[in-house]
Amino acid sequence: MRTIVQMERVSKAYRGVPAVRAVDFDLRAGEIHALLGENGAGKSTLTKMLAGVVEPTSGRVLLDGQAVTFATPNDALQAGIAMVFQETSLVPSMTVAQNLYLGAEKFLNRLRGTYISAQQFLQSLNFAVDPTAMVETLGAAKRQMVEIARAVHHNARVIIFDEPTASLTPEEKRHFFALLRRLKDRGVAIVFISHALEEALQISDRITILRDGELVAHGPTSDFDRETIIAAMVGRTLSGALYRKRDASALRKPGRKVLSVQDISQGRMVRNTSFSVFEGQITGVFGLIGSGRTETFKIVAGITKRDFLRGGTIELDDRPVRYSTPAEAVADGIAYVTEDRKTEGFFDTMSVAENLFGGLLASPHHRGMVVHMSDMKALAAEWTGQLNIRAITENARVVELSGGNQQKVVIGKGLVQKPRLVIFDEPTRGVDVAAIAEIHKIINDLADAGLAVVMISSYLPEVLNQSDRILVCRQGRIVEELSPVEASEEKIMYAAVH
Amino acid sequence: MNGAPGRFLRNLNQERIVLWITVAIFVAAALGLPGFLTSGNLIAIVRSVSVLGILALGMSVVIIGRGIDLSMVAVMAMSVAWYLQLLDSGVADGAALPLALAGVLAVGVVNGFLVAYAELPAIFVTLASGSFVFGYVRSQLIPQDAVSVPSDHWIIALGKLRPVGVPADVYIFAALALAAFVFLRFTKWGRYVYYAGDNPVAARNAGMPVRPMLVLRYVISALTAFAAGLLTAASLQSINTRVVNSTLLYDIVLVAVIGGIGLSGGKGGVRNVLIGAALIGIMLNAMTILDIPQLYQNLIKSTILLVAIIVDGLLNPRDEQTAQQGDI
Repeated sequence: MRTIVQMERVSKAYRGVPAVRAVDFDLRAGEIHALLGENGAGKSTLTKMLAGVVEPTSGRVLLDGQAVTFATPNDALQAGIAMVFQETSLVPSMTVAQNLYLGAEKFLNRLRGTYISAQQFLQSLNFAVDPTAMVETLGAAKRQMVEIARAVHHNARVIIFDEPTASLTPEEKRHFFALLRRLKDRGVAIVFISHALEEALQISDRITILRDGELVAHGPTSDFDRETIIAAMVGRTLSGALYRKRDASALRKPGRKVLSVQDISQGRMVRNTSFSVFEGQITGVFGLIGSGRTETFKIVAGITKRDFLRGGTIELDDRPVRYSTPAEAVADGIAYVTEDRKTEGFFDTMSVAENLFGGLLASPHHRGMVVHMSDMKALAAEWTGQLNIRAITENARVVELSGGNQQKVVIGKGLVQKPRLVIFDEPTRGVDVAAIAEIHKIINDLADAGLAVVMISSYLPEVLNQSDRILVCRQGRIVEELSPVEASEEKIMYAAVH
Repeated sequence: MNGAPGRFLRNLNQERIVLWITVAIFVAAALGLPGFLTSGNLIAIVRSVSVLGILALGMSVVIIGRGIDLSMVAVMAMSVAWYLQLLDSGVADGAALPLALAGVLAVGVVNGFLVAYAELPAIFVTLASGSFVFGYVRSQLIPQDAVSVPSDHWIIALGKLRPVGVPADVYIFAALALAAFVFLRFTKWGRYVYYAGDNPVAARNAGMPVRPMLVLRYVISALTAFAAGLLTAASLQSINTRVVNSTLLYDIVLVAVIGGIGLSGGKGGVRNVLIGAALIGIMLNAMTILDIPQLYQNLIKSTILLVAIIVDGLLNPRDEQTAQQGDI
């Protein structure tokens, strides 16, 4: 088989943080190449470099043996490389045919002619999609078909699928796989990014596994099985502080039960999940992207609402609660530290002091209407010291701080509210190594002080090392509880993938 | 860059640029225009911007919270017109004033509710509610474009009040500016305006009552509009509802934005309104003394507004860099 694409030692760093490091990757005509790895392993970044969405920091991309650089996704598309995104990039208010020819319309555009040629084209692909249907009326599978048809229509020789099956039903998946095989028979090279290992094993010809931005394994699919893939995905070098053996006596014993969640549901993301959280220990929650872990705890924190009918029950200290705003949860002593600090965590044009003070102002601990700037200064002095927040100047805006300091500000903003239950969602995402250790210490100190602490993470060593008990979330539900003593990365990953 | 010039350039934000321009225009006008630097003219300047400044204070509270209230001029003119019409038709002041106030509150609450709870864009909600208020009051409640103040009413007395030779408008503007300053700076609800304007999602997640506070801000802007309307009636002894179709609304936005209150929210304060009002007041006065026709004045003002918004967009960009990072 002919090699179409070759990526040689490509690297990509975001603001100095490496996402992909010197990875070699090649694609042959008429193959399905599965790209596997944990969240943050660099799969998306690698394929985005191929599709012209981001530019490599170093290394080169060869197309048919020629070095190429794509400045925009359109350049890549012109060269025959198309990416089908997780979130579809169709225009919902337009018809299938209009979407198909989006950006390639003739100057004089007659709808009837468009529909006829779209119909013929879709039939040639054996797609049962009505070209006159509005895209917003279509289900996930048909939308994906339109996306794929669009890629094929652009004569794409390489099609990249990022988590294509996440939103499909089993029936739709069968159709999708049949389609992939047809594309393969036409000589198209397919990159298949997935968390679903069975699917990758079933459909792919070759497998490449990334871990922490590096290539760890690649070869024909027949060389792999579920166990070897998982081992490759998680098998880190056992280096010092990151990894310590947990001893049963070192685990904190559960205190009083603070939170009891039973059968809560929210649309399709959270399905009948039940669990409890206790005082004086860290409850680690592991789940892959899309497993509903964030959604579940956002319900607990009152940020979103669970289903009104058959939504289940949440009890805080044996008292049933149903929050309609986060303010009610804050008043009950629940703090949620977001995974997305930029969009919903901090106030980016404000100083560290103002951010911390905002947390206090929003809580019932700030009494009265009058605000004293001296209170703000005192609060800032206390908490920047306690959390070791370092800003260049006192008035520096939070957006100018390093990721680790930003994260500490967001944590501090929650802690000044004196919560009893703190939910950390990916507390060390995008944080430098030194700050990771400090944040872990903050989290542990809270548990030692008797608070109930939840730590959601998709980084396995973090879950294994910091938690006193581990909950695993899969498809909107807590499916397994493990003790860190008996748990291993393989066991957790086994429970988390479907 | 080092040394004094470097430091000067680095500290040059919009507020300071506008302040320097204001000073420059003032000096130029004082040297070049006869009759500019007389106490009578200076008082006229301050008086002319008092109503505009009061409206800009209300608008600023909304804009800092990342909204905009385009119904202010309609509320200002129509509430006072209705109030005066009620008085004219024999309703006692003790009933007419609460009635007019209730109407103003209702507009503010409806604006706020539609923006906060129905999550409709503020610019369209207030544009529509403004024209509704104008159309309804003009067609149903008042018979003519202009309504005059009854001769023995306290509004007339207010218009004639001149402690120490300075018109009462100026004192009221100063008092409201002080009130707005205290509210925004030293009260919890005032601080919430900044947090919600900077990042409404983060403010909500932290536990701030973001939606009720939004309603409050539109109520505040409606009430300041009513106050500005009363002052207008006091100085003119009548209210002309045609002001709704004038450029006054743009002047309000101009004062707020040019002073350095970012349309992206979370930025600025009363000081910025004062600087913006000073610049606009001096400029309008100078243009009038120079006898520049109204059409050209509008052209100049709209050009300045456009430039101010562009500069604002460059200085306070809504984050575009974040879209690219974070997803590894």
